[in-house]
Amino acid sequence: MKKSITMILSLIFVTSALLTGCGGNNNATNTANKGKDTDVKTEEKVSEEPFEMTIRHTQIGADKEKRFAILQDVVKTVQTEVPGLTFKLDGVDSDVNRKEKLRGEMAAGSTPEIFELFGSPDSKIYAKENKLLDLTPILAELGIADQFSNLDPFTYEGKVYGLPIGGSGEGFFYNKGYYESKGWKAPTTFAELDQQLADIKADGKVPMAGASKAGWVPLMLANHLWSRYAGPDVTNKFATGEAKWSDANVVQGFAKYKEWVDKGYFKKGELGFEYAEYTTQFTSGEAILMYDGTWKSSVFKAGQSGEGLIGKVGFFNLPAVDGGVGDQTALMRDVNNGYGFSATVANDPRQLAAVTSFIKNFYNEQIQLRGLVEDGVLPSMKIDQAKLNESITDDLMSEIVAVLNTSQSSFPAFDSLVQADVTTEISNIQIQSLIGGQTTPEKMGAAIQKVQEEANAAVE
Amino acid sequence: MNKALRNPLAFTLFVLPALFLFMMFFIYPIFSSIYYSLTSWNGVSDTVKFAGLANFKKALGDERFWISAKNNGLFICFSVFIQVPLIVLFSLLIANVKKLKGLYKTAVFMPSIMSTAVIGILWGFIYEPNIGLLNKLIGLVGIEPIYWLSDERFAMISILITNAWQWTGFYIVMVLAAILSIPGELNEAAMIDGATGVQRATRITLPLIMPIITVVIMLSIAGAMKAADIVIVMTKGGPAGSTEVMATYMIKYAITNFKYGYGNAIAVLIFMFTLLVTALYQLLIARRNERIEY
Amino acid sequence: MLRTLKKCIPHVVLLSYLLVILFPFLFVLFSSVKKNNLEIALNPFGIPKEFVFDNYIEAWVNAKISTYFFNSMYIAIFASVVTILLGSMFAFAVTRMRQGKWNGILFSLVLIGMLIPNNALMLPIYTIVRKLGILNTHWALIIPYIANAIPFTVIILAAFMRILPREIEEAAVMDGLNAPGIFARIIVPLTVPAMVTVFIVNFLGNWNEFLLANYFLSNDELRTLPVGMVQFRDQYQMNYAQMSAGIVYSVLPVVIIYAFLQEKIIEGLTAGSVKG
Repeated sequence: MKKSITMILSLIFVTSALLTGCGGNNNATNTANKGKDTDVKTEEKVSEEPFEMTIRHTQIGADKEKRFAILQDVVKTVQTEVPGLTFKLDGVDSDVNRKEKLRGEMAAGSTPEIFELFGSPDSKIYAKENKLLDLTPILAELGIADQFSNLDPFTYEGKVYGLPIGGSGEGFFYNKGYYESKGWKAPTTFAELDQQLADIKADGKVPMAGASKAGWVPLMLANHLWSRYAGPDVTNKFATGEAKWSDANVVQGFAKYKEWVDKGYFKKGELGFEYAEYTTQFTSGEAILMYDGTWKSSVFKAGQSGEGLIGKVGFFNLPAVDGGVGDQTALMRDVNNGYGFSATVANDPRQLAAVTSFIKNFYNEQIQLRGLVEDGVLPSMKIDQAKLNESITDDLMSEIVAVLNTSQSSFPAFDSLVQADVTTEISNIQIQSLIGGQTTPEKMGAAIQKVQEEANAAVE
Repeated sequence: MNKALRNPLAFTLFVLPALFLFMMFFIYPIFSSIYYSLTSWNGVSDTVKFAGLANFKKALGDERFWISAKNNGLFICFSVFIQVPLIVLFSLLIANVKKLKGLYKTAVFMPSIMSTAVIGILWGFIYEPNIGLLNKLIGLVGIEPIYWLSDERFAMISILITNAWQWTGFYIVMVLAAILSIPGELNEAAMIDGATGVQRATRITLPLIMPIITVVIMLSIAGAMKAADIVIVMTKGGPAGSTEVMATYMIKYAITNFKYGYGNAIAVLIFMFTLLVTALYQLLIARRNERIEY
Repeated sequence: MLRTLKKCIPHVVLLSYLLVILFPFLFVLFSSVKKNNLEIALNPFGIPKEFVFDNYIEAWVNAKISTYFFNSMYIAIFASVVTILLGSMFAFAVTRMRQGKWNGILFSLVLIGMLIPNNALMLPIYTIVRKLGILNTHWALIIPYIANAIPFTVIILAAFMRILPREIEEAAVMDGLNAPGIFARIIVPLTVPAMVTVFIVNFLGNWNEFLLANYFLSNDELRTLPVGMVQFRDQYQMNYAQMSAGIVYSVLPVVIIYAFLQEKIIEGLTAGSVKG
């Protein structure tokens, strides 16, 4: 008995050892050496002694390869510009980086020198405690201080502590092939959208992708809905007490979401799925619509997981709702994902030079356009309109830009406007309770408002 | 004589390294936790503000905290009332079969040498609603798919089952060893007196293995109070916080919400709850049999 | 007839339990050589019609199993060995050396450690580790692992050392051995079986540890197997075939070790619990 087990095990072992030999030598990373910067190596040779700096990024997984390639190219350029410098790239899931790693490291004073940073409210808390490098002098030195379209999320007491990588807007991606087969167009009214959802459901398909294991995913759409019903600026007013989560208009937004859940418009079992699954539901053709950020457009490029849908994906804004407050074309837009730098960098002139070089090589027109073309990230810097148009070649991107141009105003996502407690309450508890049927829209509004009031009362 | 063993310097040198680490990682943290539990420190700031008992008041008034405490309680109940009887039953069965004893022992023990994280992943696949093993199995008898980990009604029990799957075998082997160490004469004598197998098990074996069962229960309680990794891996405390346990609740507050002081108050509460449960158990049950002797 | 039936019932019960234990492993093993989710869904229980090994190649590259495995292995072994060294010194001192009431006081102090749920102390330990400046290095795990296992180690080894007869040291003292000599030449060799037990328990504890490893390390190349596997799952969750291959990689080495050492592992553990 035991002998045979040993036999089988050793066989399996040998097989896997063979496979190891086959698979060991190709690393998944794409190290193509494009985008060589023309800048000359003018840095003074302070010291050639090797030193190391760490960049914490969140470009992990197959869908972010393009973005990772861009970062790698910038890293290479900076390494040639700064003698002796070696960058260590440290990839972490973005939610983990934001909510766990970085917060722990900030407390410990052990952050990497360069890290992806969430603008508001995170960067303000860190800036207040002097954990972040003040970038104002570097921006002045490089002369790019006024080139960013919006630095508010990263600004604290007039100083800049982080730089947005790009911008994003959120709306519906839809399966054009399916829409055409039904003779439909992207909905222009809410009633039309509702009707389409019902028809898709009746057709036996999943109307909307769903993956709510992490609360922020369903909250993208929910956020847009309550902002339609209660006004684009309503979320701003929660922290100041001018508006309440339990206001009838806000609750109406929750109620609409709940209605869609109850009608079975989202993929069943969504509470158990990770965000990665969200995309798969859409790219596999199972779900016809997917509410997501414009960053998702990078998936629909050659060699990516949504390759099969190239040219068959469209994008539209959430239509106006009946009786909605404020601008009904408002789009949820963010420039909240950026890079920040450890305050300790200021103590070391060589590290400071490296950071300056990193900013120079990362935040320029060329990289911004490359991000747009290759990765579908909207620019965070002001780019010449003609150049912009010239760079946009695929249909999806033009549709996205069209949506951006037709929306008359924008508002940031709720998690950049309310306190961390409130974000936790709504994304870890309330939205999942709503989806799971354990709460009602009214109770949900009241519960969040309670946490909001506690947070407002606590003196920071 | 025996001067060598009375040398205080040698004694000090022998105990010091372990004692130092012990003080640093057990005793100091307790006091540090108690200290910070009385503050409103956010974990980042350089200034630490004293807050009195506000954190404890808040925790004890928070419904979410009680849900997580209840889930720790479920862990304990599941171990004591479902796992332990199974452990005893299977150990008795294995002890009394003649063939395949070794195979049973080897196989049941296997899950407990694997990492909880990997087992959480494996069971996540088994519970997967569309292609997972469990739904395919119940599908054979015509039951609709169940969303094990995403349905509030099933998520906690799913975690408990996974936990039991991992650890039952470990305890079976422990109890089995105790059974096998009972002198054969006792059973033989009983057999001659005409006792049936069941009688022998309940009258002779069971009383003799009571001490080891006490140990098993104590270890289960300790394990239940510590449970966190399996929850993080399988559900992250979701859906809607329904599978949160005290340890994950603490982490969530201390790190994710910038509430280090509050998180430490939870730590102190976990500590107190554990002491309470252990003391209760020792007083009510263990004393009647035999106190654990290490 | 009745007799055979009676003999069979325990086996039926035990074999069904065995099935519950082993089937999940088989399910993963079969799934790992299926082409994709669809094939798993269509034929969930059986052996696949055609074997696809691509999953193994992709999982190896994507999951970096070799790095994680090595990290886990050396951290777990190193920490367990040091714990045994320090723990046995301590146990020796409090059981065999004559220091009056100090023996009892120190032993009881360490006993308290068994009552402390160490997960609850994660936050202060985090603070200590960061003050030591070892956050995000393997020391951030090794030192807490050593410390965490001390109470258990001391208790088991002390129980073992206490029952050794006094006469052996008396003879040793006659021979002119001092305390370290007695410890190293007499007590340690006699305690080896208990040490094996403790080593195995500690090793498994460290090998399985997830919480500290998840929060104290952030560089990918430092991660241990449990944390690395969870990260792998989160990224490639939609591809169950590949994920299964990852699980097989992470489970297989343990199963192999277990196949060879199972007698020792089980013997050690049971000896520990009976003594304990």
